[in-house]
Amino acid sequence: MSAYSLWVMEYAAVPNYPQSGLIYGMHNQGTRKLPYCYVVIQGQGQLAMVDVGYNHKAHGEVLANTYGVRGWHSPREVLGEIGIQPEDISTIFITHAHFDHMGNIEDFPNAKFYLQERELSKMVWSMSLERRFRWLMLGIDPADIMRAVDLARQGRLVCVDGDRENVLPGVDLHAAFDTHTWGSMYVTVRNDLSANSQRSFVFCGDLAYGYENLRGHDPNDPEYIPIGLATGSQFNVIMTAEAMVKSVGGDVHRVIPPHEERLKDLFPSRITKAGLRITELALADGQKSQVY
Amino acid sequence: MVDDATATYILENQRCFEDLKQVASQLAGLLVLAAAGSKEGVPDHPMIDAAGTLFREANDALRRARPTERARPHHEHLLRAAASIAVALKEAGVALIVDRVLIPLRAGYSELERAADSLPGFEKVAYERACCGGARVQ
Repeated sequence: MSAYSLWVMEYAAVPNYPQSGLIYGMHNQGTRKLPYCYVVIQGQGQLAMVDVGYNHKAHGEVLANTYGVRGWHSPREVLGEIGIQPEDISTIFITHAHFDHMGNIEDFPNAKFYLQERELSKMVWSMSLERRFRWLMLGIDPADIMRAVDLARQGRLVCVDGDRENVLPGVDLHAAFDTHTWGSMYVTVRNDLSANSQRSFVFCGDLAYGYENLRGHDPNDPEYIPIGLATGSQFNVIMTAEAMVKSVGGDVHRVIPPHEERLKDLFPSRITKAGLRITELALADGQKSQVY
Repeated sequence: MVDDATATYILENQRCFEDLKQVASQLAGLLVLAAAGSKEGVPDHPMIDAAGTLFREANDALRRARPTERARPHHEHLLRAAASIAVALKEAGVALIVDRVLIPLRAGYSELERAADSLPGFEKVAYERACCGGARVQ
């Protein structure tokens, strides 16, 4: 029995991203495809997402021409592939405030957004520092902050302080402070709704970019390898990896890094006419597959 | 492609653009904390002073700029941005009432976006230092 259908939806990709940016220590070891994705959670009368991608109008040309990001498609096109409209989404969990995860707030006019309060407050604190500290502002789009002001005024921004269970039935938020960002969080879906679920999935945002972060290079001798970038500490990144993997009973493939292209090898997937991947992690009872 | 004089303008005014963007970010950050009910979003937040100091430096640099014909639209966007951000700063110094600050702030930031779109060398986000956008095409 699955309470929710879970899909990972690609909305753009960098075909050749340096491995060293993703897996600590993989210097001069070539590139890999880096898909940009968000997650859809549907079931129990709920329609939710994890992250919302970036706004092409604001960033698309520079990202395409200078940084090689290809194939951006709007949420309307991407979600339309599984019969959903952006207006249908009622809940969105923002794993962290980088532009490629939080940058498309305005396309979801009816959603309530959950974000760690620390992600906001520490970001604002970092803005107060002198110019030589500007690295701490990496990935932040000031326009996203202004859009967040509107969300807050409309009562659609929920600032979470730490962990929170059952935000939706069987859906928990877990703080991962001082890791990839000041106030990153990951989302656990207990897909059988039980307290000690055997069917959990963890949506980890950028707390892991690929499976190497969660099991190292040798599956027979696993180890945690930090991500390529942490504003906080790599120690915290590693301990968060342990917490995430433990929470799914050690099955690393139930921790879902949205930037991991090999999800398509592990779960049923299809490529849309636009060349974007849809990966189906689970199907709620009675729901129709969107990949077959 | 830009001519040498415009390239010089770009190099000389990147800092001014960055500083105006930073001031806009600082004000927006305070607004979001205030609107979200954070205990840190208070009207006498020291960042308002910091934003004011940075704004004055940026504004002085902007007044000294000598745009070429090619760079003139960019410079005009920056002037309009600075004018709007000045209003937002003034309002924030009186009281952190979201609407009174946000409306001029948003107008100012829109002008910064237009400036960034009108000449190369001015980025809205530091993509190069961002984790998932940092792989510059060779």
